Amino acid sequence: MTDFEPKIVAFLCNWCAYAGADLAGVSRLQYPPNIRAVRVMCSGRVDPVFVVKALREGCDGVLVSG
Amino acid sequence: MHLTRKLLDLAGIGKDRLHVAWVSSAEAQRFAEVVTQTTESIQQQGKLDAEALSMPLQACEMTVNDETVRWLVGKEVKITSKGDVYGRPWDIESYERVMFKELEREFQKNMIYLAIKDGFTSVRDISQKIQVDLLRVSYLLADLERTNKVEFTGMKDRKPVFAAL
Repeated sequence: MTDFEPKIVAFLCNWCAYAGADLAGVSRLQYPPNIRAVRVMCSGRVDPVFVVKALREGCDGVLVSG
Repeated sequence: MHLTRKLLDLAGIGKDRLHVAWVSSAEAQRFAEVVTQTTESIQQQGKLDAEALSMPLQACEMTVNDETVRWLVGKEVKITSKGDVYGRPWDIESYERVMFKELEREFQKNMIYLAIKDGFTSVRDISQKIQVDLLRVSYLLADLERTNKVEFTGMKDRKPVFAAL
């Protein structure tokens, strides 16, 4: 299981977590490359349908961050 | 999101597949931590077998699209702060209990619907397929019939047969 690289879809709020991710990049912090970021204008925009859809389409986990 | 996690638990997918975290734009360090934690947690849970879970996943999607569930979620703040249309006050716990019951009910109804589509047409077969007891299945079937989602088509080997519409 140690080689397993999960696919995680991350819904990031444009104003909070996306900017945080940007800053993490700029300040060269290391974090796992497993997330696929989806920028949304607000984390309130994320509908439960998106989450279920993501899981159905074959990702292993979902992160909602705002 | 709280309800979505409950739904994932119901579906046997596990609520820990969905992580929710608040990170502000100035917290790069925190973002890195959150991503690391999420990745570790998902890594421990292993790969999600979307093929094997396709039926519960589809039922989940139908449930989160369901009108009643969405109304309940949308009205939560209004009803728990100002009371319902009859002026009755609701505390958050009892409202959430109602919401969760409805969520479970819708999920099971959708599972039944999908089971019928898959060719499990009698109450006993459906009950075995989706691991819900017989009585509950027949109640929910009656409900599905009333809303024109399934149809009673007749008896076969002394068992009632249903069809999904």
